[in-house]
Amino acid sequence: MKRAGRIAALGGLLALGAAFLSVGIGKGQMTEVLSKAIRICLECIGIG
Amino acid sequence: MKRKSEWKRTAVQAASLLLHNANLKGFVTGKIYQGDLKQVCVPGLNCYSCPGAIGACPVGSLQNALQKSKPSFPFYVLGFLLLFGALLGRFVCGFLCPFGFVQDLLYKIPFFKKIRTFPGEKYLRWLKYVVALLLVVALPLIYTGVPYFCKYLCPAGTLFGAIPLLSLDQLLSDQIGPLFWWKLIVLIVVVLVSLLISRPFCRYLCPLGGFYGLFNRVSLVQLKHTETKCVHCDRCVPVCAMGIDPKTQFDSTECIRCGKCARVCPTDALRLGLLDLKKKKEEQTA
Ligand code: SF4
Ligand code: SF4
Repeated sequence: MKRAGRIAALGGLLALGAAFLSVGIGKGQMTEVLSKAIRICLECIGIG
Repeated sequence: MKRKSEWKRTAVQAASLLLHNANLKGFVTGKIYQGDLKQVCVPGLNCYSCPGAIGACPVGSLQNALQKSKPSFPFYVLGFLLLFGALLGRFVCGFLCPFGFVQDLLYKIPFFKKIRTFPGEKYLRWLKYVVALLLVVALPLIYTGVPYFCKYLCPAGTLFGAIPLLSLDQLLSDQIGPLFWWKLIVLIVVVLVSLLISRPFCRYLCPLGGFYGLFNRVSLVQLKHTETKCVHCDRCVPVCAMGIDPKTQFDSTECIRCGKCARVCPTDALRLGLLDLKKKKEEQTA
């Protein structure tokens, strides 16, 4: 891939990542992540 | 032969392991961290049920978003994954991932034989995409309520989550059953194979590594190869952590940007660096 193409793809992906993160925050998805992460995940530790 | 030391990378990996698991008191109390930082996804594979974990595992969080009876598009988790991937690619694997570090330490242990690749290596490497599509995405979406990768495969959950928690909490350890023994067998197999071959879980099974690999060609962190400097001595080939040929596959989805090849290159033809924003004529582009 040409250098210019790589730079354009990198810029596009960074913009998309930032947009996704903002939309996710707007939809309150970080609360879903938090509520899963602060409880012991029984599947992860092999008893659920 | 010029051989630059690996200690700096090892120091970064150790620091990253500590940062991912900075809630050290959890290893004494057997309680997991429950503060606000846990809403932030970490870059590497690090179970959020590790008593030390201060952030959320991106693979676990993704399955959690998809396994709901009415799943919504996981913008938030994918946002983190896109940003980590675009900035770092598999540099996350080479320098930051706690489970990658564990495998590197295991591979340093002298074993009767070390091998570079398995027979059928090319096909085995596709397994991680099957794991990602099936266990992380499709099955949690279809049969809701179960994070299949976490439940049946993830050895990081067993090592960082199950072993410390179950040894500290009697109530939890009383519930140990066949599923735990299955997960322990998976972990033991990964540990044993890691003595024989470098990074087996990263090569063949990790959905996160597979995802970050898709960004290697465009990520800000790059492994660069300058064809005009290369004397084709092949010193980089046997040291490659992922069993690829660095001088031709420097852009591969498999490269974890560990820089081992660059450290043994006698002419600096291989170099770990940032994507050039200004054009340089001699640098080879794939
Ligand atoms: S492939 Fe997976 S386990 Fe290996 S270093 Fe990358 S994220 Fe970690
Ligand atoms: S090509 Fe070089 S940087 Fe990439 S995995 Fe192999 S040794 Fe590490």
